[in-house]
Amino acid sequence: MDNTAHKLLIANRGEIALRIINACGKLNLSFTAVYTAEDAASGHVQLARAKGGEKSLFRISSYHDANELMAVADEAGCTAIHPGYGFFAEDFRFARRVAKRDRKLLFIAPSWKIIRELGDKINTKRLARSLNVPTVPGSDRPIYDEMEADRIAKTIFEFQEQQDITHPLVLVKASAGGGGMGIEEVYDPDQFRSVFRRIRNYAMRQFKDEGVLIEQRITNFNHLEVQIVSDRTGGNPVHFGTRNCTIQSTGLQKRIEVAPGFAPDVLDYTFDAAKVLSDIVDYSLTMARNVGYDNVGTWEWIVTRKGQPFLMEVNTRIQVENGVSARIARIRGKGDIDLIAEQIRLGLGQNLGYTQDDITFEGVGIEYRLIAEDPENSFTPWVGRIEHFQWDNAPWLTLLTHVPQAEPYEIPVEFDPNLALAIVWGKDLEQARQRGLQFLHSLQLTGQNASGEKLKSNAAFLATNTESILRF
Amino acid sequence: MINISQLLDEIKSSPYNEIVISTPHTGKITFADIKEGDCVLGPQGIWKHQPGTQLATLERERNFKPIFAPDKGEISLVHKKLEGLFAEAGTELVVLRHMLTRDEVQRMILQKALHLFRAPERAKYYFTPEADKKIRASETRTMTVRNGMELFIMSRMKREVPLHYSGPEGVIYEIYFKYNANLEIGAPLIGVCSPAHLPVIQDMIARVQTEWFEKTE
Repeated sequence: MDNTAHKLLIANRGEIALRIINACGKLNLSFTAVYTAEDAASGHVQLARAKGGEKSLFRISSYHDANELMAVADEAGCTAIHPGYGFFAEDFRFARRVAKRDRKLLFIAPSWKIIRELGDKINTKRLARSLNVPTVPGSDRPIYDEMEADRIAKTIFEFQEQQDITHPLVLVKASAGGGGMGIEEVYDPDQFRSVFRRIRNYAMRQFKDEGVLIEQRITNFNHLEVQIVSDRTGGNPVHFGTRNCTIQSTGLQKRIEVAPGFAPDVLDYTFDAAKVLSDIVDYSLTMARNVGYDNVGTWEWIVTRKGQPFLMEVNTRIQVENGVSARIARIRGKGDIDLIAEQIRLGLGQNLGYTQDDITFEGVGIEYRLIAEDPENSFTPWVGRIEHFQWDNAPWLTLLTHVPQAEPYEIPVEFDPNLALAIVWGKDLEQARQRGLQFLHSLQLTGQNASGEKLKSNAAFLATNTESILRF
Repeated sequence: MINISQLLDEIKSSPYNEIVISTPHTGKITFADIKEGDCVLGPQGIWKHQPGTQLATLERERNFKPIFAPDKGEISLVHKKLEGLFAEAGTELVVLRHMLTRDEVQRMILQKALHLFRAPERAKYYFTPEADKKIRASETRTMTVRNGMELFIMSRMKREVPLHYSGPEGVIYEIYFKYNANLEIGAPLIGVCSPAHLPVIQDMIARVQTEWFEKTE
């Protein structure tokens, strides 16, 4: 494979930037990384210095500034941009600009029209409804007007009362938000207006758009995902299985992801779990085919206790947890799959080169998100200095981190305090769980903040929750 | 109590500030016709609507961004070797030696005299919507704060928590922070002056106004 004609701009930071640099290594592709002043000590900067060629690292004013990225891409001679996740991932305007400017660049993501169509949760909901794919009851467009919002909330409360739900809940979320930020639930209809106003103000400050979505809050559900991969033809999407991301923080942020999504062979479910998994895969592929999906993406589902799936949204980007699906996947019996490398390869225009029949799955993968936060105090981020970070290596463990091990590291407050991703593999659920605990117990992570308080992490939370993995 | 005479003497013994002008973002640099030893002006006019002396131009994505002197001063260093090159964000271009103005001296002294309410964490700060409305709507220095009053929103990593003012009751005399910018731990947010203290503060300002002479360069 000849990639020498291409050079990739990595428009992101931290752990995903590290993974993209490594994927470039596998593809024999040259790259350029960027960083801001706050990130000067980050691992992705060090790796880019070590592995990059000429013009492979630039300091920019902000990861959010499109002009900075374009200027650096031109200066460094890049031909493609990888947005990673967050920042410009799922930004169709950015994708369109990249594709339409005088010096055109390839955007390693679905084409901008698909990002526009599926990146919008509400549009996705309308599309799903048109294809008879089940979705959550509620508004299918952003609401700006308080009176209208109030009416919708009232209808959803009434609907749940009719269904004999004892504690009806309404979810209010920032339409432009994502990643679990800017979501609140309302249990008392009288409280609805104040929550609506708060979310609207928050959305304005953080996302510059006041639009708010209102839908039924389904409690007692599992959060599942389907990993879709497709080449630029858009004609033959394949899936890389399902993931279960139910274990989350109180702020609805994922903390443990498991592949596959259920384990019907060893655990009991009150519904036909194998059928639910195959249904959500089929629904996801149906939608992918319908829009001509042409890169990697994730279909996110919630599954109720009765085994009813609802499509929540489509993430038109690579996700943090892609590695856990790759860990259990085999292509023609061969493991060591890297979905980021696949994403880049397909994004640059190569054909998929295999079909669904060539993809098989083996064992169970668990991904832990190790974060500096205080789970006992509603997962408040902890900011300070990491002094010691070490773990026992094992062949079944992949640890991804941008935190340097050789020297102390100051966590920048500008970004989420994610420290590492640990992906553990076992031949079955039991072995994966045991290995997961073995890893967590071997972990040494210490540090302190400006006022001398000890580092707080979610390691104990992850260990406690390992027991309930894949149980509904 | 602050010894105003001593403070003024201290400032007079070193009345300069060094201002480093760096590229705000990436781009190709073209310097204006400037050299070391030149005196440059900061923004002029009643509303500071006329920009200062142009020092350089930064070209990015076919946009030309002029870089002006942010303040009056004498150029002590120009990085001429960067001429025509593509620079990263935050690249040092010019260093200015700036003589402190009366207003700046006044601000320095006020920072010592007022009750400062400081940032408890490195974070972004906002006034609560109610406080923000009041501050925007009313004349400056009329908004009264009390101990325990919910006054700010502290935002870190998109997580927001309310922040209550603690300290003596008084009017917000100075605001030291800007929205959407990260503040270091301990940086002052507001300076508060209690009604009883107001005459003392006004006295100090009068002293600075009469005793500090701005050097015209």
